[in-house]
Amino acid sequence: MQLNTGMKVNRITDEVWEIPTSEKSDMLVPARIYGTPGILQSMDQGVFDQVTNVACLPGIQRYALCMPDGHWGYGFPIGGVAAFDVREGVISPGGVGYDVNCGMRLIRTDLTLADVAPRLPRLMDELFRRVPAGVGAGGSVKLSRSDLNAVMVQGARWCVEQGYGWHRDLERSEEGGCIRVTDPSTVSDQAIGRGISQLGTLGSGNHYLEVQVVSNDRIFDPATAAALGISGQDQIVVMVHCGSRGFGHQVATDYLKVFAKAMRRYGISVKDQQLACAPFRSQEGQDYFAAMNCAANMAFANRQVITHHVREAFTAVFGPSAEELGMELVYDVAHNIAKIERYPEGELLVHRKGATRAFGPGSMELTPEFRETGQPVICGGSMETGSYLLVGTDRAVEETFGSTMHGSGRTMSRAQAKKQVRGEQLQQQMKQHGILVKAVSMSGLAEEAGFAYKNISDVVETVEGAGITKRVAELRPIGNIKG
Amino acid sequence: MSYEFRFLEDVALADIAFEAAGDSIEDLFQGATRALLETMADPQTVGASWNRRIVKMDAALDDLLVEWLSEIVYWKDAAGVVFHEAPLSLTHHNGRWKIEGSLIGAPVDHTLQTLRNDVKGITRHLYKVGQDGPLWKATVVVDV
Repeated sequence: MQLNTGMKVNRITDEVWEIPTSEKSDMLVPARIYGTPGILQSMDQGVFDQVTNVACLPGIQRYALCMPDGHWGYGFPIGGVAAFDVREGVISPGGVGYDVNCGMRLIRTDLTLADVAPRLPRLMDELFRRVPAGVGAGGSVKLSRSDLNAVMVQGARWCVEQGYGWHRDLERSEEGGCIRVTDPSTVSDQAIGRGISQLGTLGSGNHYLEVQVVSNDRIFDPATAAALGISGQDQIVVMVHCGSRGFGHQVATDYLKVFAKAMRRYGISVKDQQLACAPFRSQEGQDYFAAMNCAANMAFANRQVITHHVREAFTAVFGPSAEELGMELVYDVAHNIAKIERYPEGELLVHRKGATRAFGPGSMELTPEFRETGQPVICGGSMETGSYLLVGTDRAVEETFGSTMHGSGRTMSRAQAKKQVRGEQLQQQMKQHGILVKAVSMSGLAEEAGFAYKNISDVVETVEGAGITKRVAELRPIGNIKG
Repeated sequence: MSYEFRFLEDVALADIAFEAAGDSIEDLFQGATRALLETMADPQTVGASWNRRIVKMDAALDDLLVEWLSEIVYWKDAAGVVFHEAPLSLTHHNGRWKIEGSLIGAPVDHTLQTLRNDVKGITRHLYKVGQDGPLWKATVVVDV
């Protein structure tokens, strides 16, 4: 098998591959990559280099992992998962990602394709008008400095208390939409300046809001689907992909600078300056953890406000209230975060960067609602193909620190994609395939063309084959809002 | 004054990378600045109703370029603007580099402007600034 690396890669199973510690000096644990042989061959060299760099970080436990949607990132690969002992290990912004708590949210409805199709253009106009997207777009919620402090501490809970959502939304969000260990004093004025007007905005890049349809033949586990409110029958659902916007990025940027100095003081050396880190128990480590959690709460709040505007848009077009339209949250899950979790090794700080928590039914950390199904996992594909609703497994908890994939993963750069198609041309092609696209930036649209991504079905089949996630339903796009 | 820039195809799969070059260090800064402005919006479609004067100093040239470009990203978010131009001058005194520049642009309006990417930050991934023959060059990867 020809791979984009000179390192030895050993087959563990058909979906799990291991790079032993002998392949790079200072590796403390082996690196494990999830993927079929085909996926492994398509991975860029950065994945192999970066996952083995992560395996050298102090306090890492068991393996440095990369999911099948993995590709080159900053420091950690996208798709990277690594767990560190909370006493001896480090925390690294490069293991969280710049867009702290970038994540996915899925909202169900009682509407069907037959209900929505005749009014889809109007629905997309309403969504585009109510959910600001793209460069520099400000949100509709005007925050004071003290409001923003409250958002940093309370996350989505603050939004619900202000009328932007329902209390039961919180029960269907990772961590209840609010991470507790926060300290707004650890967040810079620059981060606050960038974030204060961005609540309820999508951003650009690969972020989107998508109207999707679930047909009967694309439900793989009817009982679990029904338990999560997914009935099939051409049911309409809405997916949101975004994070903490400029706020989270500024937090990451600020602490990369802090950690670059701290590493010298703590005698830590890393193989890539974007892997800058500090001991988790150090003052710098604790400050970043608190600031990162503030950004994570900002992201939960951002998706909550967007959910409120999605419900308003549907109500404006389809009449009765959002409650009567059955617009319940299925789940909200992060895919860029570091969290303290308990495993056989003890308390570990699990970094997931472009990777989703995937706790199985046996996990006591889940709310009772998900103790039979397992935790919902929402994975977005390209805007031309489809997305998936999955659930976590107990095997994921045993093998991957309760983690799985987050999306399909790019295979082509933005510059290359733009050379192959123009935004207007792509918009027209997608319309012919039954997908209405509203985009702020036509060049940004071209960059997100389906051919720039791996086939998400291949990625999903890999994680299901590996037993770390189970498919519930495939979601097909009919409308997409892009920044 | 002479500078140029080009976007790199194979450097940043999920983000955007550019290489800027100039006859002088000041030209290089102007080239990198123009590349960043073009990444966010077509400057020709952006008016000049908003401006902000920026002064920054640093002993290290490469750190100063990151700080300057990051400042542009900051004001994009903090003021909700995109940019028409950003004239600048660069001086070196007592071992420190000083950049004095103006950000000139207008509030974001997608009905009037050709908007492109919402840049979230300037990274140090594969970042380099240096002299290549007669030219000063920089490679910058921006997170979008």
